[in-house]
Amino acid sequence: MKVVLQNLTKIFPSRDKKSGKEVVAVNDFTFEIPDGKLIGLLGPSGCGKSTTLYMISGLQKPTSGKIFFGDDDVTELSTENRGIGLVFQNYALYPHMTVKQNILFPLQNLKGADKLSKEEMLERAYNAAKLVQIDELMDRKPSELSGGQQQRVAIARALVKMPRVLLLDEPLSNLDARLRLQTREEIRRIQKETGITTVFVTHDQEEAMSISDMIVVMKLGVVQQTGKPQEVYDDPTNLFVAKFLGTPPINVFNGSVKGGKVYIGQDAVLEVTNVADQDVLIGIRPEGFELCDDGALCCTLNNVEVMGRDVSVVSTNEASVNPVIRSIIDADNKVDLASGVVRYNIKPHKLFLFNKETEERVYFEVK
Amino acid sequence: MVDNKQQWKAWLYLSPAIVLLLVFTVWPIFNTLRMAFLNGYGSLGEMGGATFEFGIDNFLNVIEYKNFLQCLKNTVILCVATVPISTILALLIAVALNSIKPLQKTLQTIFFLPYVTNSIAIGMVFAAMFNIVGLKGNGVAETWGIVNNVIQFFGGEPINWINAGSPYWANMTVMIIYIVWNALPFKILVLLGGLQSINKQYYDAAKVDGTPRRRVFTKITVPLLSPMIAYVVITGFIGGFKEYSSIVGIFGDKMGPANDAGRLNTMVGFVYDAMAKDRQGRASAAALILFAIILVVTLINNQVSKKRVHY
Amino acid sequence: MSKNEKMNVMQARDIQRLSAGQRIVRGGVKAGTYLFLFVMALIVLFPFYWMIISSLKTLAEYRQAIPTFWPKQIMFSNYSEAFTTANLGDLFMNTLYVGIVSTLLSLVITVLSAFAFARLEFKGKETMFGALLATMMIPGELFTITNYLTINHLGWMHTFTALIVPFLVSVFYIYLLRQNFMQIPNELYLAAKVDGTSDLKYLWKVMIPLALPTLISITILKMMGAWNSYIWPKLVANDSAHQLITNGLRNAFTDTSGQANYPVQMAAVAIVSAPLFLVFLFLRKYIMSGVSRSGIKG
Repeated sequence: MKVVLQNLTKIFPSRDKKSGKEVVAVNDFTFEIPDGKLIGLLGPSGCGKSTTLYMISGLQKPTSGKIFFGDDDVTELSTENRGIGLVFQNYALYPHMTVKQNILFPLQNLKGADKLSKEEMLERAYNAAKLVQIDELMDRKPSELSGGQQQRVAIARALVKMPRVLLLDEPLSNLDARLRLQTREEIRRIQKETGITTVFVTHDQEEAMSISDMIVVMKLGVVQQTGKPQEVYDDPTNLFVAKFLGTPPINVFNGSVKGGKVYIGQDAVLEVTNVADQDVLIGIRPEGFELCDDGALCCTLNNVEVMGRDVSVVSTNEASVNPVIRSIIDADNKVDLASGVVRYNIKPHKLFLFNKETEERVYFEVK
Repeated sequence: MVDNKQQWKAWLYLSPAIVLLLVFTVWPIFNTLRMAFLNGYGSLGEMGGATFEFGIDNFLNVIEYKNFLQCLKNTVILCVATVPISTILALLIAVALNSIKPLQKTLQTIFFLPYVTNSIAIGMVFAAMFNIVGLKGNGVAETWGIVNNVIQFFGGEPINWINAGSPYWANMTVMIIYIVWNALPFKILVLLGGLQSINKQYYDAAKVDGTPRRRVFTKITVPLLSPMIAYVVITGFIGGFKEYSSIVGIFGDKMGPANDAGRLNTMVGFVYDAMAKDRQGRASAAALILFAIILVVTLINNQVSKKRVHY
Repeated sequence: MSKNEKMNVMQARDIQRLSAGQRIVRGGVKAGTYLFLFVMALIVLFPFYWMIISSLKTLAEYRQAIPTFWPKQIMFSNYSEAFTTANLGDLFMNTLYVGIVSTLLSLVITVLSAFAFARLEFKGKETMFGALLATMMIPGELFTITNYLTINHLGWMHTFTALIVPFLVSVFYIYLLRQNFMQIPNELYLAAKVDGTSDLKYLWKVMIPLALPTLISITILKMMGAWNSYIWPKLVANDSAHQLITNGLRNAFTDTSGQANYPVQMAAVAIVSAPLFLVFLFLRKYIMSGVSRSGIKG
């Protein structure tokens, strides 16, 4: 089931009655979620990603715009009639019911022709439980489960009625680091097995990148960029997206384009064409640095952090916007700490130029 | 390691409370037990030099006393009738209040008003509402009272609620109405507080699953509210067994209609009557029986709650 | 999966057609909810309304066979009559005196005890506190019998002392305040100790301001207690010099059925109720929060 969002806008009336300022939570969001894909809505808190999810669920009504499930306009349809499954951030498992009762609960609401017999309900509940591997825990109460197990129960409860669309609100935020890794693989697997179109919300870019078929990066209610995770990472449309994706984050420098060369300070780091002379912001991914004794960019060397396979070189440069520059290089390269200086060559496809005012991407061709 | 200076400071700060508690709480516990088990104890008699034997005569006396059984019956009827009625009404009102937005605060304030009243004073208002002025043998009345006026308006027969010659069930009905009216505010307050602390996401989750309204109420609201419900039921029973002043409010010290004083007396009333007659032994025994009943009811309630109260 | 999906789509279409009907049902439920609440609110308010309009009627109008819902002739004189008949002025002063003195003393005792239980370390603290809480289980009537004798022995019969002293310590208020004190981080106390602040100064400057809402709740409930108490004052101080308001009211109008002069009686009840309503109007927040935690009336 594909989901189409058309000019979706949500405006909240101001809480402070005097100032009367409205809050635009989501602004003119248009996007088509292809059938059977896993989509990550990504952004810092307050960017409108949860509001978008709640509008898809029907728990919140859009101020304007339309939502389609397949060809059906569901904008006016109430939540219960949309056939969605929703997993809440803190799971919202009913504390007084066992796991089994929790999973059965949505099925027991079905009426008329959809009504299932007791046996059918149990079968479906057990199938859902098996899918998320909690069929051993059916008689426990939620309070007797770990966070990861509760998460699975919540997913089973959302899946049991075979929803057309599965929505997950920050599904991993309440789990510890190890469980988070494990659970996100699990979500990926379940989504692949069921083929249900799935939308999940997260503020963790790594999480979104690792399992999504597509990501949507949002900021202050406005969609910044959509696409496959790798494409967005490799080709950000503006500085915000470039900064938001990737750990360690992208290094940003003040610089300029002059006579076909990109300058950081006095150092010409790259020769380019098809771009006018101007002051720019330069973003370089940590993996975009190559150690080279006569490299173009000269930085003051501060520290080297060994991380096993790679080393992270921490250095400074006057033109850097961030307090330090972090570059990731292969551990085989030896860095001479005593010298106090490090020189880099820059990989052209890991360097992005941004307009100094608008922070929009400035495209160029490598000479 | 406990600091010595803190030790004596603590006892200094606690001393007023301890002295008062010893005199007015701890000593009464022992003394009540003592008096209850001294056959026929009376304080004037003791001062006059009389001695009393140890025994359980007081308890036997109390139980055999016809008056006591009447008091027990009144108390139990009032309890059993008012606690469920007021709890269910309060639950309905609290749920209704919780589901609306405009006027919620105003209505909440109105429903709390009966709490800030003097139960004797407002009892007099209820008495006025049920009272018939000038009822003669021939049934002619100057005014039937507003409640009877309403009944007559709807085509019913007026009822002698509280006046001389009124039937027992009518007296009890008035008491039940008054006690429920009085008990609602506290229960609504507690239940509404409980409702408002239920995580809204449970309702969102139920909505996503298309849960019908009735099912949300029985399967989600009531179970999640069960600790609060148990709380108001237990406090309701405890309060019910100690019912006294609301009856004084409506019927006065006579504790009954003019021709049948004492008919509506309660357990607490029994204790005070015995005291007034310098029968402290009997009063103590009755108070201990009251305590035992409250204890048992509380324990049963707790036991039921353990099975019924979820999580 | 595709089959299931198809089924689900059909299901959604079916229900979509129903949703207009659902909207009507939902509107009906809203209207029903308000209707229920308004009817209940009317029932709750009616006695107050009846009290006020009855208190303003002439006796003749009150006794009409067909009741009037607004007095034809407004009789404010009922109020002055009630005031003198029941001697309400003296009763007010007595009650106010007992209420204020017992509230002040009770607050001091409660604050000191709660502080000791919340902040100081001493042997047997837990046992003591547990024993205190246990006494809350016992119905007050059990104490009354002996306390009556004690008051008699002490020669306190028919004095204000008898009305004040036995109820100065409330285990529940100590418990409430202790819980409140415990929420204040201990670091504040230790910091004050380092600075050489005395206990009492710390209590006065830090803890009491922080626990003010609870103290206000206790004050109001205590005052309301004095206003509403009936049984104990009737036992130990039912003479005219020491009578409290509720007893005075009850004694002045012994007749509640039959030929009672209701307009005057209702005026007296209105006068006695008014201060409670005024307090409630201005301090609703404190009363409600105190009450929801206590479960005990007055």
